[in-house]
Amino acid sequence: MMLAAENGLRGDPRLKGISEAIRVVPNFPKPGIMFQDITALVSNHKVFKDTVDLFVDRYRDMGISVVAGVEARGFIFAPSIALGIGAKFIPLRKPGKLPGEVISEAYELEYGNDCLEMHVGAVEQGDRALVIDDLVATGGTLSAAISLLERVGAEVIECACVIGLPEVEGRRRLDGKPLYILVGPRQYNSII
Amino acid sequence: MYTLSSPTTLKILEAKIVSQGHLYCSNSVKSVQFLPNTDATAARSGRRENLLIYGGSSGGVAAPERKPMSVAHMASSNVDETDDRVSRISSTIRVIPDFPKPGILFQDITTLLLDPKAFKDTIDLFVERYRDKNINVVAGIEARGFIFGPPIALAIGAKFVPMRKPKKLPGEVISEEYSLEYGTDTMEMHVGAVQPGERAVVVDDLIATGGTLNAAIRLLERVGVQVVECACVIELPELKGRDRLGNKPLFVLVSST
Repeated sequence: MMLAAENGLRGDPRLKGISEAIRVVPNFPKPGIMFQDITALVSNHKVFKDTVDLFVDRYRDMGISVVAGVEARGFIFAPSIALGIGAKFIPLRKPGKLPGEVISEAYELEYGNDCLEMHVGAVEQGDRALVIDDLVATGGTLSAAISLLERVGAEVIECACVIGLPEVEGRRRLDGKPLYILVGPRQYNSII
Repeated sequence: MYTLSSPTTLKILEAKIVSQGHLYCSNSVKSVQFLPNTDATAARSGRRENLLIYGGSSGGVAAPERKPMSVAHMASSNVDETDDRVSRISSTIRVIPDFPKPGILFQDITTLLLDPKAFKDTIDLFVERYRDKNINVVAGIEARGFIFGPPIALAIGAKFVPMRKPKKLPGEVISEEYSLEYGTDTMEMHVGAVQPGERAVVVDDLIATGGTLNAAIRLLERVGVQVVECACVIELPELKGRDRLGNKPLFVLVSST
């Protein structure tokens, strides 16, 4: 997992602002989880713009033709990145949401399974793709996204998230695809 | 190779600014809360421009007879540019019959998103409208409103506020219940996301009955926000969503009957 600070952006003041704009909500969605909430980040125009700019700056010269965003919080970031680099935006959705013919990929949750879908025909053989989500934890969702894209002949160049949790195991879990993260999780300070 | 269902030949006119009363010819035009029309000709003549987009593609099933709405000519040097952009946008929208259930013609914007120029033009049309209107908040309705809202917010210097289904937002929320065809649903917004006095635009991909947009308006107004306008890519006018918005103006790019 590549943290932006270790990948040429050490000391970039934008990263500090991004990290501080994340709100930690304890015990959501269940006890013991410290939820990394990006709604405060996107509510801060400068920080939101910095976030998108960091991704656009990284990817604009890499010949990316597809930016895939994972429902729903990936939809908040991915389209702006796609627009910034002139790529197609493709929504990857929960089952039953996409109206046309789809292909599906199941993935594991902590308890049980879920499924990610993509429209048939959205991606073409040889498309160079990014996968975007707000946060990566175990990497299960991103792994399903990579599978969907590769099944139709796209080349996944990188996965990118605003936040990466320490439990991400890196390359093995993400099928050998690089993972680019802006910041680690914000720590919860109950004094605030 | 990806192919769109072939659109019927459409006569595309100009961008449509939809406001209360304009499309129902039997009614007199009502005065509405409306953003100032920037066209100098209209300002000089004192006449509110009433522009029309006649768009949307149909596919698969026999298209119902189209009912064009009245149009006034817009004397502006930008009309051709707007014309081309909107016709391209309209042509990229794919209609999926019988989704999510028989009899529904679903307006699929994912094909618009596959055309970078059409997607950029869509955002530009909204940004051009709102950039100088002191809009502080762009509220986007889950989930397809999350696709269009943030790029607009970023371009006009506004904050983006997600309006979500229940139990998705992690912090303290306020909720608004609204009716569906059968039963009800609930929309939520974070407490503290917006401040009293802020000016907001509510964004979604499409307005049908207007139920979700109306719930979003109520949520924002309950905390003292001024909802300036609702903005959608597509309108289904037969479902009379505009009526459900009350006195709130609605701006759409494509109207599909």
